[in-house]
Amino acid sequence: MTDTEKKLQDKAKELLEQGKVEHIIGYAAGSLKFTTTPLITKDKDDARQLVINPFIVNNLSVFLNDIKGKIGIVAKPCDARSIVSLLQDQQVARENLVILGLPCQGLIDLRKVERLTGKDRDDIDDITRNGDKVTVTTGGKTQKFAAKEVIFDDCLSCETPTPPEYDFLFGEPSSATDKELGRKNIKELEAMSPQQRWDFWKQEFSRCIRCYACRQVCPACFCTRCFIEETEPQWLSPLPRWQDNLLFQTTRMLHVAGRCTDCGECERVCPVNIPLRSISKKVEEIVDELFQYKAGMDKNAERFMTAYEPSEAEDLMR
Amino acid sequence: MVVRDISQRKRFLNSGNVYLPHIAVIEKIIEETPTIRTFHFNIKDDKVREQFTFESGQFAEYSVFGVGEAPFCISSSPTRKDHLEVAFQKVGRVTNAMNRLAVGDEIGFRGPYGNTFPMDYLKGKNLVFVAGGIGMAPLRSLIWNVIDNRAKYEKVTIIYGARSPDLLCFKYDLTDWQKDSSLNTVVTVDRGTPDWKGNVGFVPAVLEKTAPSANNTVAVVCGPPIMIRFTFPVLDKLGFKPEQMITTLEKRMKCGIGKCGRCNIGDVFVCRDGPVFSYAEIKGLASSEY
Amino acid sequence: MKKIKKSDLNKLLSQWQQKYSVFAPSNHGVVKMTAWDGKDTTFLDWYRNTVVPPKNNFLPGMEKMFDIKKDAGYKLEVTADDTKQLIFGVRPCDARALALIDVNFKDGYEDTYYLNRRKNGLLVGLGCTSPCASCFCTSLNIHPAESQDVDVMFNDIGEELLIAEVTDKGKELLAASSGLSDATAADEAKAKEAKEATFKKVTRKINTGEIKERLMPSFENEEYWKNVAAKCVSCGICTFLCPTCYCFDINDEQSKGEAARFRNWDCCSFAVYTKMPMENPREEKWRRVRQKVNHKYNFFPMIYEQIACTGCGRCIRQCPVNWDITQVLSTLPEKAKA
Repeated sequence: MTDTEKKLQDKAKELLEQGKVEHIIGYAAGSLKFTTTPLITKDKDDARQLVINPFIVNNLSVFLNDIKGKIGIVAKPCDARSIVSLLQDQQVARENLVILGLPCQGLIDLRKVERLTGKDRDDIDDITRNGDKVTVTTGGKTQKFAAKEVIFDDCLSCETPTPPEYDFLFGEPSSATDKELGRKNIKELEAMSPQQRWDFWKQEFSRCIRCYACRQVCPACFCTRCFIEETEPQWLSPLPRWQDNLLFQTTRMLHVAGRCTDCGECERVCPVNIPLRSISKKVEEIVDELFQYKAGMDKNAERFMTAYEPSEAEDLMR
Repeated sequence: MVVRDISQRKRFLNSGNVYLPHIAVIEKIIEETPTIRTFHFNIKDDKVREQFTFESGQFAEYSVFGVGEAPFCISSSPTRKDHLEVAFQKVGRVTNAMNRLAVGDEIGFRGPYGNTFPMDYLKGKNLVFVAGGIGMAPLRSLIWNVIDNRAKYEKVTIIYGARSPDLLCFKYDLTDWQKDSSLNTVVTVDRGTPDWKGNVGFVPAVLEKTAPSANNTVAVVCGPPIMIRFTFPVLDKLGFKPEQMITTLEKRMKCGIGKCGRCNIGDVFVCRDGPVFSYAEIKGLASSEY
Repeated sequence: MKKIKKSDLNKLLSQWQQKYSVFAPSNHGVVKMTAWDGKDTTFLDWYRNTVVPPKNNFLPGMEKMFDIKKDAGYKLEVTADDTKQLIFGVRPCDARALALIDVNFKDGYEDTYYLNRRKNGLLVGLGCTSPCASCFCTSLNIHPAESQDVDVMFNDIGEELLIAEVTDKGKELLAASSGLSDATAADEAKAKEAKEATFKKVTRKINTGEIKERLMPSFENEEYWKNVAAKCVSCGICTFLCPTCYCFDINDEQSKGEAARFRNWDCCSFAVYTKMPMENPREEKWRRVRQKVNHKYNFFPMIYEQIACTGCGRCIRQCPVNWDITQVLSTLPEKAKA
C-alpha cells in the first residue's frame, strides 16, 4: 500500500463513518493480474480494499445513475470530466457527490504490453512503472519501455492530468502525454481515401457482435432507452450486420458528441478490438474545432448541444 | 396437474423445421375495443388444416411477415372447428402491424404450443371463471369448450370486467352467456358511463360479492397482473386452496418451444411447461418473477 | 494412435480442405475460428483459446432462417446450410459446451438449424498446454488436454502432434488422411506427462457441490444479489462470448419487397430481453444477474442434470469490470438447512 492509497482509504472510511456519503465507488484489486475491479460499497471496512495503480481503467462515473443517495467517488481526470458533463446535463447533483480526485499519469494498456513483449498477460509476471519508464518482467527477464509506448492512446492525448473538479485530491499530478502519438490511428485514417476508409471500417465493424459493451460503459450514454432498442419505429436492425453495426456506432458517437471526454473505455472494453476511439476522438476534435468546446472541463459552461449561437446557424442547418 | 410432465405436450407436425410457420388467411376481423381485435382465420394448406388439433389453453406464434412474430393464445374452442380465433391488443411492433391487416391478408401461424387447461381435473367440478380485459381470450376457449360439453361440469360462474364498458371484449359472447340459464355471468366495469346499466366495481371485489362456494370448485383466472395479484387473496378468503386456482401466464415467448431462453421462471419455461399453472405450482417456483 | 510433425500440419489441413470447409484459429482483429487460409499454422505457437467461441460456427451471431417471398400469397423458402465444417483446434471446454447446447436444442422440439450444422460438422480438438489464469475447467470435470466431445483429438508432444480418434466420424476422417505416422509408446508417454502437467496448471477452482447446496437457498436473498450485481454494466460480453450460452432472438427484416426471418444471439443481461409491452419481469439488474448465474448453475442442471458452464473463463477475462463468476459462486450466502 502506498501513502496515497492509505490517504484515500482513510478519507473514504471517514466519509462513510461520518455519514457524509452513503456509498463509496472506487477501485479494488481484481481477480486477475493487472486488473482492478469497481468497488461499490456502503461498508466502511471495505475502504481498505481501495487501490490506486496503473490499471484503474474503469470510468466509475457510469455507476452514478444506478445508485441513490450521497456518493463518494474516486475519479481520474477523464472520469472527473465525465462527472462534470453529467452535472451539466443534470444527470447528477453536485451536492450528492464527494469527488475523490486522482491525478493521473496515464494507465497501462495491456494490449500494447502484449504486443510489445509478444507475451500474453497471463505469462507476464510483473509490470511496474517508475516515472517515464515501465518495466515488464517475464520469466525472470526484464524489458524496459518508455511509458509513452505502453499507456493508452487516450492517456497520451490527455487534456488535463489533474481532475477539473474534485473535493479531495490524492497524489501529485504529472503527465507523459504525447498528443501526436495519441492520435496516430486517427492520422492514419485521415491519410486514407474515402474508399479506403470505408473498406477499413467495413472490416472492423464486420467483427462487431452487438454486445453493447461500448454503450454500457459509457457515462455519456445515459439514455434510459437507447434508440437501438426502439421498435416502433425500428431505427436500426438489431442484427449484427456490418452496415448496421457501423450505423449504430456512428449514431452513438454523434449522440455523445460534446459529452465524450475521451476516457477510452469504449475501445478498451470492445471484445473484438474495434478501434472505437478513432471515431470518438475525431468527433471530439471536430466539436472543438467548430465550437471551441471541450467536454467536461467546466461545470458552469453552457451545454454544447443545447447552447446555440446565431452565428452557428449556417453551418449547422446546411 | 404436474408442471414438468411434458408427456402431455401437444405436438403438431413436430418433425422438420419447427420455426417455419404455416400460412393462414384472415377470414373475419372483429373490432373488440379501440385497441383490441379478433381475427378469425384458417390455415391455408388443406391437409395441414385438416390435421390440425389443439386444446384450450394452448398458444401459437403468429407472424406478420417482414415485421415479426408474437405469441398469443388460441381464443376459440377446439370444439368449434370452422375456423381458429386469436385476440390481440395493439401494444407493440407485431401487434401494430397485425392491426393494419385486412380480411384476406395472410399471416404466419405455428403451434399449438404449451400445455392445456387440465380438462380431466375440471370434469365434474363447479367452475368459476375470473377474467379482466383481454385476459378473457384464453378463458373464452375453455368457456365455449365447457358450454359445448355442458353435462360434464357442474355450476359455472363467469365474472368478467374491464376498465370501462367500451373496453369489454367479446360482447357478443357475453350476451349469449347472460342469456344461458345454465351459466351465472356477471359483467362489471371499473368505471361506468351514463348508459351503463351493469355492475360497477373491480373484478376481485365483484368476485368477493358473488362469493362462489369453494366446495368442489376450480377457479380459472386470467387478466392483467395487478388483477391476478388481487384475485388470489379473495379466492383464498372464499376457501379456495392453491390447487383450486388456475391461471395462464404471459411472458415474452419468442420461440415458443423452450429454446430461446427468455420466458423462464426458475427452471420452468412458460412456453414449454406452461402457460397454464395452478397457483400451488406458481407459489413453488423459484422466483417472484411471474 | 497416429502423429504428425507440426511442420506438416498444413499438408493435413490442406487434404481436409478438399472435402471440408476447414476452420482454424486466426487473429484478424480478434481471435476466432475463421476459414483456414490454406497455409498458416503459426497459431500453434500463440493460440491459447479463441475469444469468440466455436459455438459461432454452429449457432452464428446471426443467421437467416428463411426467405419470405410474396407473389399471390406468401411463400417461405428455407436455404439449408449444409456446409461441411471441420473446426481445427477446438479446446476441450468448448467441445463440451457444444455438447451442452446439443442437449437443449435436441430436447422436445429439435432445432434443425443448429443440429444440421452439428451433424455436418467435425470437431478436431487440440489439448491445451497453457491454460489461462481465468480457466477453471477442471472444477467442471473437464480435462484441459483431453476430450470425448470431439471427433479427433490432437495433443502437443513437442515437435509433433499426437492424434487420437474419438468418434466413428473421426476414425473415418483419419482413415482417409495420408501423411500420418504411427505413434510410439514413448510418444504416448510424453503426451500423458504433458497432459498431467497441463491439468495442474489450472489453478482456479470452484466447488460445484457446495454451489448446488447454496444456490436455491440464496435465491431470494435480494440484498446479496443487489450487491454482486452492483458493478455489472449489463453488457453482452459474458453471454455472447460464453461457449454454452445459446439464447437467441428472432427478427424479421424487409426492404424493397424482399423479406426474411433471422435469428441472432440474445442476452439475459439486457433489460429488453424479457421486456413485454406492458411489463418486464427482469427490469432490475440484480434480477438479470441472478438469472444468469442461476440458469447456468441451477436451472439448467435442474432440467438436464448438467451445469451449463465449462470453466473456459472467457466471462472473467473479457469482462469490462472483472465481474468474476467464480468469486460470486464462492460467496453464496445461504445454505440449505440439514
